[in-house]
Amino acid sequence: MKFIVSSSSLLKQLQHIAGVINANTVLPILEDFLFEVEKNKLTVVATDLETVMRIQLDIEAKESGKVCIPARILIDSLKNIPDQPLTFNIDKNFGIEITSDNGKYKVMGENPDNFPKEPAADDTTSFTITASALITAINKTLFATSNDDLRPAMTGVFFELDKNGLQFVATDAHRLVRYKRKDVSGPRSDNFIVPRKPLNLLKAAIPANEDELTLSYNNNHLFVKHGTTQMSCRLIDARFPDYKVVIPADNPYRLTVGKSDFQSALRRVSIFSNKSTNQVALSISGSELQLAAQDVDFSFEGNERMKCQYNGEDLVIAFNAKFLIEMLSAADSDEVNMELSTPTKAGLIKPVEQDENEDLLMLVMPLMLNQ
Amino acid sequence: MSTALPYIAHFDLDSFFVSVEILNNPSLKGKPVLVGGYERGVVAACSYEARKYGIHSAMPMKKAMQLCPHAIITNSSRADYSRYSRWVTDIIASKVPLFEKASIDEFYIDLTGMDKFFGVSRYARELREIITKETGLPISAGLSSAKFISKMATNEAKPNGFLEIPHGREKDFLWPLGIEKINGVGQQTEQTLKNFGIYTIEDLARTPLELLQRYVGKWGESLWEKAQGIGRSQIETEWEQKSISHENTFDRDYTDLQFLNQELVRLTEKTAYALREDEKLAGCITVKIRYSDFETTSRQETIDYTALDDQLIAKVKDLFRKSYQAGRPVRLLGVRLSQFIPFTVQMSLFDNNVEKLNLYKAVDDIKNQFGSKLVAKASALRRKEHPGDKEEGKR
Repeated sequence: MKFIVSSSSLLKQLQHIAGVINANTVLPILEDFLFEVEKNKLTVVATDLETVMRIQLDIEAKESGKVCIPARILIDSLKNIPDQPLTFNIDKNFGIEITSDNGKYKVMGENPDNFPKEPAADDTTSFTITASALITAINKTLFATSNDDLRPAMTGVFFELDKNGLQFVATDAHRLVRYKRKDVSGPRSDNFIVPRKPLNLLKAAIPANEDELTLSYNNNHLFVKHGTTQMSCRLIDARFPDYKVVIPADNPYRLTVGKSDFQSALRRVSIFSNKSTNQVALSISGSELQLAAQDVDFSFEGNERMKCQYNGEDLVIAFNAKFLIEMLSAADSDEVNMELSTPTKAGLIKPVEQDENEDLLMLVMPLMLNQ
Repeated sequence: MSTALPYIAHFDLDSFFVSVEILNNPSLKGKPVLVGGYERGVVAACSYEARKYGIHSAMPMKKAMQLCPHAIITNSSRADYSRYSRWVTDIIASKVPLFEKASIDEFYIDLTGMDKFFGVSRYARELREIITKETGLPISAGLSSAKFISKMATNEAKPNGFLEIPHGREKDFLWPLGIEKINGVGQQTEQTLKNFGIYTIEDLARTPLELLQRYVGKWGESLWEKAQGIGRSQIETEWEQKSISHENTFDRDYTDLQFLNQELVRLTEKTAYALREDEKLAGCITVKIRYSDFETTSRQETIDYTALDDQLIAKVKDLFRKSYQAGRPVRLLGVRLSQFIPFTVQMSLFDNNVEKLNLYKAVDDIKNQFGSKLVAKASALRRKEHPGDKEEGKR
C-alpha cells in the first residue's frame, strides 16, 4: 500500500487524537495509530480501550489498506519535518517507509487485525448541541470532578437530559457545580456519567464555534461527531450521588462581591495559608469582608479587608481558597453572590448576571474552624 | 551556624525484651532465655546466656531450639514492653533537650554544646546509671561525633557497658572492624564486598569511591563516607514525626482473605487512633505485605486528608486488593500513614463527617480512659490474640 499526505495536515490531525494514547499501555498495540486508507481518504484511529478517537483527511492513494503505526515516533518525526507531501509505503510485513525531500525513514508497524475493535453504536439516542455550548459546559464543570477512584461516579461529569434542557453536574464531595443549558433539548429524560479524559480530549480537539455536534448514547457508550472528527467513550457505570438534596434551598444571608477583586484577594491571602488545607477564613460584618489565613508551622499570616454588600448576621466561615478561586473562575460576571447560612453549612456561589440560556450554580462545603 | 563539636550518644537497652521478662520473673536470671513465638516465628530477643549457644535475634525459633534445647521461651510480659520503653523515654526526655527514639529500645541523644556545662562523657555515663537504677534495665551506650559511630560503639560496649570514641579517633575505632559491623551492611553487601577483597572498614576506606559505587551502586557513597568517619544523618526528634505505622507478623502464614481483611481493619484502626491523638490528618497511606518467602511489597497512595477510620479502611482494603497476589501465604501485614497536616475538617456534601468524627472521638475517649483494647470495630474482632504474633507500632 502506498499513499501521499501533507505532513502538516497529518500532524495537526494526529495531535488532536494523540492524547488518547496512554504512556504506559498494557497492550503494545495501544501505542499505535490505526491507519485505514480508502478512496483517497485516510482515517486514523487511536484508543485506550475506554476512549476511541478517529479523524479523517484527504490523501492521494491508489489502493486501500490498513496498518498500525507507532504513535510516538510518527508524531516526533512529523514535528521535525518541514511542511511537504510525504509518501508512505507499507509492505506485506507492515514495514513502513516514509519518504520526504530530506530522506527516508523506516519503522515497523503492526498487524491492523490486532487493533481493538470500536464499540458498536447500537440502540443509541441522539441530540445536538453547539460546540461552544458543550465546551463551555466542560470548562465550567470538569474542574470540580473527583480523583478518587473509590468513588467512580464522581470522577466524571453527570449529563442530565430532559425536554426542557440539559444539565451538567460535577462534584468531588466537597464542592459541586451544576450548569444548566436551556437552549438544548434532550430527546427524553435520561442521564449518564462521562469520564474526565474524553471530555478533556474533546475540549482540545473541537473548536468552540457554533457548529452543531451530534451526541449519541446508549447504555454503555457516548458517541460524539463533529465533521470528520469522532469520539466514543465508555460511560462510568455507577450511580451519581443524589446531589439535589444537598443544594440548600434557603440560605438566608447574601454576600455580593466584585468577582475579580475577591479572587485576587483570595490568591494573595492564600499564599500565607497552610499549603495543604488552603484555609482562608472569611469574616463578614456589615459591609466589610475580611480574609485571614495563617500557617502556624512557618508563622505565616495574611490578612485583607474589602468592601462588600451583605444582608445577614455577622459570620465567620472558612473555605479552601483553591476551591473558591476555581469556582470564581467559572463564573462569567463582574459580581458574584455568595449565599450563606451557618459556618458548617454549604455556601452557594452564583454569578449575578447570566445569559438567559444558562444557569450556573456552585456550592462549596466549609472547613470546620478549630474551636 | 554553631561551631560546637558534635556529640551524639546512642543508648540501647540490653536484650530489652529479656530484661523485662527477668524483671517480672527473677528466676529467669542467668538462664538462656528466648523471647518470641513458640510454633514458628523468630527470636525477638535472647539473653546473653543464650547467645553463647550461637543464638541471635531474628533467628528462626526452631533453629534456636536445636542449638539450645533447654532454653526457656517466654513472652508473658509482652504487655509491659512498651510501658518500660516509655519509662526510659521519659527519663531521657527529662534529662536532655534533643533526642530521637529510634525504636522501642534505642535512643540517639544530641549532647552537642553540653560540654560547656558538663563533661559530655560524664553526663552520658550518669544518664546510663540513672536509667538502670530507676528502671532496673541494663543499658549500653556509645558516644562519638556521629550517629552511626555511636551505634557501633554501643554494639562493642555491650552488655551493660559504655564506650566513647573521642573526636579525631574515629578511624582508630572503625578501621579494624569488619565491614559487617556497619549498620545496614547485610549479608549480600558483605558478600559482594568480600568478593572484591574488602574485609575491614579500613579496606573500605582505602577503596576509591568510584570503584565502590560500581560494586554496590548508589549506596557506595554513604558507605565510603562512613568508612572515613563521616556521618551526615541528624537527630530526628519525636515532634518531627513523619509517619505512624502498625504491623503484625502472624503466628503462621495466612491466605484467608477474611482474616487478612480483619487484620487490615484492626491495624488501620490502631493507626488512625494514634493519628487522632496527635491531632493530625494524614494525606498518604501505605500497605505493606510480606509473603511467606519474605518477599515484601508495599503500595502507597495519596488520599484526601483525613483521620476517619472508615475512609482510611476503605483505602487500605483497596490498596491491599490491588497489590495482593491472591493465594500467596502472607506472614506480615502493615499499615502506615504519612504526610501529616494539622487537624482541619473539610466538610463533605454527602457524608456527615463531622458526626462521624464525633463518633470516633467518643470511641477514642473510651480507649483513653479504659484501655485501647476495649472497643474495636466488629469486623476487626478476631480470634483470641495469638501468643505467636509479633506486633509493632512505630511513630
